[in-house]
Amino acid sequence: MSRANLAAAFAASNQHVSPFLVLGDPTPEISFQLAKAAIELGATMLEVGIAFGDPSADGLAIQRANLRAMNAKATTPVAFSIMKRIHAAFPTIPMNLLVYGNLVHAAGFERFAREAVESGASSLLVPDLMFEEGEELRAVCKTVGLGHAELVGPLSEPKRIRKLAAAVDAYLYLVAFQGVTGARTGAADSIRELVHRTASGVEVPVCVGFGLSTREQIAAVFEAGARVAVVGSYLATAIEAGVNAGPLGDGAQVLAKFRAAFAPLVGAVAQ
Amino acid sequence: MSQESILSPRKGAFGAYGGRYVSELLVPALNELEEARRTIVRSSAFKKEFRGMLRDWAGRPTALTYAPNFSKLCNLHVYLKREDLLHGGAHKTNNVVGQGILAKRMGKTRIIAETGAGQHGVATAMIGARMGFETVVYMGARDVERQAPNVKRMQLCGCTVVPVTTGSQTLKDAINEALRDWTANLGNTHYLLGTVCGPDPFPRLVRDFHRVIGKEARAQWAESVGDLPRAVVACVGGGSNALGIFKAFVKDAGVDLVGVEPGGHGLESGAHGATLLRGTPGLLHGARTSVLQDEFGQILEPHSVAAGLDYPGVGPEHAYLRDTGRARYTSVTDDEAIEAFEILARTEGIIPAFEPAHAFAYLMKAVALGDYEAGAKILVNCSGRGDKDLDTYRKLYGHRLAGAGAKMGPLS
Repeated sequence: MSRANLAAAFAASNQHVSPFLVLGDPTPEISFQLAKAAIELGATMLEVGIAFGDPSADGLAIQRANLRAMNAKATTPVAFSIMKRIHAAFPTIPMNLLVYGNLVHAAGFERFAREAVESGASSLLVPDLMFEEGEELRAVCKTVGLGHAELVGPLSEPKRIRKLAAAVDAYLYLVAFQGVTGARTGAADSIRELVHRTASGVEVPVCVGFGLSTREQIAAVFEAGARVAVVGSYLATAIEAGVNAGPLGDGAQVLAKFRAAFAPLVGAVAQ
Repeated sequence: MSQESILSPRKGAFGAYGGRYVSELLVPALNELEEARRTIVRSSAFKKEFRGMLRDWAGRPTALTYAPNFSKLCNLHVYLKREDLLHGGAHKTNNVVGQGILAKRMGKTRIIAETGAGQHGVATAMIGARMGFETVVYMGARDVERQAPNVKRMQLCGCTVVPVTTGSQTLKDAINEALRDWTANLGNTHYLLGTVCGPDPFPRLVRDFHRVIGKEARAQWAESVGDLPRAVVACVGGGSNALGIFKAFVKDAGVDLVGVEPGGHGLESGAHGATLLRGTPGLLHGARTSVLQDEFGQILEPHSVAAGLDYPGVGPEHAYLRDTGRARYTSVTDDEAIEAFEILARTEGIIPAFEPAHAFAYLMKAVALGDYEAGAKILVNCSGRGDKDLDTYRKLYGHRLAGAGAKMGPLS
């Protein structure tokens, strides 16, 4: 079962740089190529999202990534088919799925969770389903063997962080900034402090995201105790630059921009 | 193809609807607001300030007006609750006064809001000016263009209007953007949501600030008409004016509660905003409610000639009232609403907003549909005045004035 991939990855290493990719951005085919490129460059985990038209927790870069995928008709079934391809090519790489609540709700919790598992997902994070409203979905995840993750933020109380940590079986996703997704520069010190405060109080792996864009930031979050660093908006911006560079064709420009952005970040992992 | 998700909202549930479907990052803000709702809003000091400001600044109570000529046309006795006479020109002012006082007492210095047609934006800008808040209103870029006069009114009151260029560039995207702003600035900022939608506690908070509509109408009715109305009718977009007038009559089993949704170009055309008639359960903007969406859960773009009804969701309490059968929902098309808009102006000298024109349009066919016996006494919420719609009217329906020129005279 794919959930085991996550446990195996955490057993193998304490530091995972995970790109976040909206499935189908900018096309289903190039999206697969991007995932492949990321893994070949050294990503040991993937966070993948299904495009949604109203991504209210995301900043502009990811909003536009969602829009590009929707324009490429990357519906939920198409997204699952891309995941299946990734999983077939890289069967041990954990894929953590991030999906807005209404897509899961519309499919039916149980059917969605089963299809996610069949498509190779290791875990599920629904960013707009706060803990108290998530009981039914957590139960379904447990039944079908899909790991589940919860979000915490800079303003989450220590008591609440412990409560959520006790309920997850994949990881705790720490949002490094109070706000929406988007690459930010600097601020390494404040992130380090926040990550340390969060990670030191819980047993489960802590994954940090929302705004990471430099090797220094990633090194800082690992040093502070994070076990996964997710890079999203920064890569979405690189993909967009590739899309804007000329005709899409086989995606060579997109892949080049993506590789150029991602390669230095993977180097942040202590070898 | 889609299957039902078994889901019971925990926070602020209306049966299977409501709840708090938001990011964990917004939880501190919603907890703070709920605490303020339970303590500040219930305090006598708050109630006194709210009542005083509604009276002295907003102009309450609004009149209950019998419409003799329109009544004859409908073969009914029609009484209008005149929210069009409220300061700002619509019921929206009740809510911004309540939330403005609340935000002040919570120590917030900045208010943000979403707006579609601009009515809630204008109301927010007015209260922002009056109470000294820094005020930012998010408005879809397409709406900024369509509703230029309201943009000017907001700016005149010192408010910053931010055009939202993402998504479909309309109301739903403005709400997404306001939620993003709130998430990043929740320390000093209150999100002054404009209708009975959104995560708990907004649906209850906004509804309670509009209860004054129904309370007043009920007392005025008892004084000048007598028995209870046969039905209370209101248009439904997000649903705040309807809930505001319905709530005072929910316990009166003999009183029909009728919500009129925007049928746009007709329910079969797909170009409508009839969320309760044609929506399915979904999670939108923080609540489980009836939503216009495709089979995969992508939100659909609604259509209505009335920008204030042009929303793909609806207040969760309406979905509950529909399911329990306590309220009934119907729809009229754009064309029917525009005809009622013209007729009310011509017969009563009252130019309603396009939104309540939907309620008037329903009344014009209610007897023919067999919904009510001739001569039944009906209370209808005239939720706003039509000044804001004149530009749209002239653009889309100006030819009707030209054709009827001899009879009706020129518009200007």
